[in-house]
Amino acid sequence: MEAMPSTAVISTRSLTKHYGSVKALTDLTLEVNQGEIFGFLGPNGAGKSTMIRTLLGFLHATHGTASVLGMNISTQSVEIRRQTGYLPGGIALYDSLTGEQVLDYLVELQDREPRRRAELCDRLELPGSVLRRRVRDYSRGMRQKIGVVQALQHDPELAILDEPTEGLDPLMQHAFYRLLDDLRREGRTVFFSSHVLSEVERLCDRVAIIRAGRLMAIHDVAELLARRRRRVMLRWRGAAPDPATLPGLQDVELDGTRIIGTLSGEVAAFVRSIASPNLEDLTIEPASLEEAFLEYYASEDATEPTELETEPR
Amino acid sequence: MNVRLFLQTLRWQRVRLVVVILAGIAWGVLIPVIYDAFSDVIRDLANSGAFPEEMLNIGSGSLFTLPGSITLGLQHPLALAMLGIFAVGASSTAVAGERARGTLEVLLARPISRTTLYVSVLVALLLIVLVVMSAILGGMVGGATVIGLGDELDTGQLPLVIANGFGLWAAFTTFGLAASVSFDRPGPAVGLSLAWLLIHYFLEILGSLWTDAAWTQEYSLLHHFDPGAILTGTFDPIDLLIVYAVAIVPLVYALLVFPKRDLAAPA
Repeated sequence: MEAMPSTAVISTRSLTKHYGSVKALTDLTLEVNQGEIFGFLGPNGAGKSTMIRTLLGFLHATHGTASVLGMNISTQSVEIRRQTGYLPGGIALYDSLTGEQVLDYLVELQDREPRRRAELCDRLELPGSVLRRRVRDYSRGMRQKIGVVQALQHDPELAILDEPTEGLDPLMQHAFYRLLDDLRREGRTVFFSSHVLSEVERLCDRVAIIRAGRLMAIHDVAELLARRRRRVMLRWRGAAPDPATLPGLQDVELDGTRIIGTLSGEVAAFVRSIASPNLEDLTIEPASLEEAFLEYYASEDATEPTELETEPR
Repeated sequence: MNVRLFLQTLRWQRVRLVVVILAGIAWGVLIPVIYDAFSDVIRDLANSGAFPEEMLNIGSGSLFTLPGSITLGLQHPLALAMLGIFAVGASSTAVAGERARGTLEVLLARPISRTTLYVSVLVALLLIVLVVMSAILGGMVGGATVIGLGDELDTGQLPLVIANGFGLWAAFTTFGLAASVSFDRPGPAVGLSLAWLLIHYFLEILGSLWTDAAWTQEYSLLHHFDPGAILTGTFDPIDLLIVYAVAIVPLVYALLVFPKRDLAAPA
């Protein structure tokens, strides 16, 4: 049988980075496919930035191998960075330059045309009057917007974004989410680290969970969301039916005419079972990804709480 | 080398460079004027025995001849400061400063190898040092010519003076830049580079003031740049070899160490 061409844009095999006795990254193996938005999720200090910095050649792996865009990270780092856009976490810019000068300088060093700059500045509300101001006068959010533009202005094949929405206000976060959606539609690949579950849920096709430098799991986000429990509240005219007759309902609280519980498994069977003219009210709350993860972690290791945030800071 | 990075490094220094060039020319012009105005007085002072002659021949220079005055002018703390701003200050903060600010990773996210970054910055700084050195020396020659002492200088030897002086300050520049690529913060890099310059200055001055410690001068790089000797034809070519050899060691070190360093996320 003819082998399928690999679509992995990022591929790591047993990637390990130790600083003396500190194990920043241990035996990490994953693949990020072309055209997907891949979330890299973990609490602060889990190793997210170490992974990114190793992929980009800032750090040298202790063991293991990795390739980005089919190129070896050890020997072809410069060429990888030519085709990649990178937004560092908490980006620092040149305070004495204007926003426009920073973007010009960085794109000249990138040696590619800033094909997307105008569109990005428009979508992130960076008009010329703002770009002509010195970076030292920018707010944190404006710096972050410049950071996003410098990472994507040259239309890279792969965008590596380290906590990209930090400092952006909710409106700009949504503008940024739409931007990533468009990149995905165009077949670009986005690898982005976050500790904000809601944006991973909103954006990502797949998510890797990392903790203490170890890969805990890789999930298809849609599958994870489908598998999660939902909070259900039902109210009947008259007495509520026996909860045992409702498939998939657990942790039930029965209060006369009202049933509260969590639903897992197939939704359709449950909906069929409650179809009744006596059903007065029904609420099914979509469990957040946070709950899905907490369930996951609870089953994997109940002793170590996660520090994942549910809302952008 | 990356031309854009090279030009930007020059641009970062442009205001400082203009100020130092003007100050260097002014200082250069002043040296032959001082020599012309005070050499006889100082000679009389030396002959009177009121001052030990060592006090009047600080470092390798001398106020009794114009070439000696030029040596003195180029070893004077003011000249050291003007050249040191770039050879010590700018070089030791060039990479460590970017690292501490967090802009180094924005730079290195571009398709630029660390070797290219290092070479681009080094070439820009060496060019600056060459320009400042030439400005000071140009001021000296210009000043001597204006006051009618031009014939006391063998101007044909000036390229050799510049080559020797450039080698000396290249040695401090490569040391500063090697320190800069080795630290995550500019403080230790600046401290180490400044200490390196001061040690050489101390050894040179100590040896010139105290005859029993004259041997210490041989260990000072400043002692191996003597424009007076070049201009009077008593130059020892080994001086040229020594300064360039000392310049190459930190360069090789930086080229070996910088690409292999782990650049963890800035704190």
